[in-house]
Amino acid sequence: MAYSEKVVDHFNNPRNMGSFKKEEDGVGTGIVGAPECGDVMKLQIKVENDTIVDAKFKTFGCGSAIASSSLATEWLKGKTVQEAGKIKNTDIVQELNLPPVKIHCSVLAEDAIKAALADYQKKADSK
Amino acid sequence: MRLRGIFFSLSERQSMNAHTHSTDDRCENTDDRRELQMARSMCWHCQSEMAGEYFCDRCVKVQPVSKDLDYFTCFGLPRRLALDPQTLETKFYELSRAFHPDFYQNKSDAEQTISLGNSAMLNTAYRTLRDPIQRAEYLLDLEAGSVKDIRTTPPADLFEEILDLQDTLDEFRASERASEHASTLRTKLHADRAVLEQRQRDMEAQLQQLFSRWDALQDRAEVTEQARVERGRILKDMRDILSNRTYVKNIVNDLVATIA
Repeated sequence: MAYSEKVVDHFNNPRNMGSFKKEEDGVGTGIVGAPECGDVMKLQIKVENDTIVDAKFKTFGCGSAIASSSLATEWLKGKTVQEAGKIKNTDIVQELNLPPVKIHCSVLAEDAIKAALADYQKKADSK
Repeated sequence: MRLRGIFFSLSERQSMNAHTHSTDDRCENTDDRRELQMARSMCWHCQSEMAGEYFCDRCVKVQPVSKDLDYFTCFGLPRRLALDPQTLETKFYELSRAFHPDFYQNKSDAEQTISLGNSAMLNTAYRTLRDPIQRAEYLLDLEAGSVKDIRTTPPADLFEEILDLQDTLDEFRASERASEHASTLRTKLHADRAVLEQRQRDMEAQLQQLFSRWDALQDRAEVTEQARVERGRILKDMRDILSNRTYVKNIVNDLVATIA
């Protein structure tokens, strides 16, 4: 199976790789895994005034999983928290041209976004 | 393939009946479905009541293995996780001989199709049950309907650990091989590997324990609420350990390949 050009590009030049301090104000962290393939994905957002000003990821997995999370962080930046919740895995599939066997990678990215948003919300509410 | 076998039997039966019944061939869907169900308890060839396992008692024709039959039942084994490999193998060879397409070359198309379908099913069943992990995964699939929630709980600590280790691996890959820094990292990675491999052994032991607990519970065959809860808990724990096992296996493989 050949990866699409976009996947290869994200794989070779991953955007926003890295991490924030979990405890930092306005940071939401989502860590998810896919038990079928053993991939692990961490995605973090930094929120100011309800807008995602920065996003970072770290992924241990295949090229598609890395590309999916890299793309997700690109999309997240500049979005409001509410808009971010609307990102669907199918959008990622379409943008990266993922073949059927790699769709679970995009699902993982969507799960990671949801988990990061939930974590941010939980932190915000507990204040 | 199995379904094809059944369809074959249907069409054949229909053509056999064609001269006696002048009804419309395009019978309604509901009739089709009813016939499919009947096809399982009735010989596709002579239509006598099926008492034998895979062969009709009366006309000795091979019968398609029903798709509702689980792999355990297929080999005549109880749904347990402890399994004697010798018994499984013996039964596998026995059935392989019975279904092998070579023995059906001079038989009708319908029988050839059934022989092929049954052989394919048998091979998959054998491969699945032979491996203890695949066997457990298969059992979880089978039981998924009867237990409310056997989805896995994400092991957050393990994920953190894996990602940290991944950082160290990246750092190691980027470092000058002969440098002191690289050798410090290598020592750390070797230590990490030992810890992870110990954890793998622990997980195997835990799985073995869960397998025995499951079997014991099945043997007791209680229908109490307590037994039901216990069942669910064992399956959930199994699911969790099997998933964690995959994560750990992946990172260990990566680690071993990097420091090799």
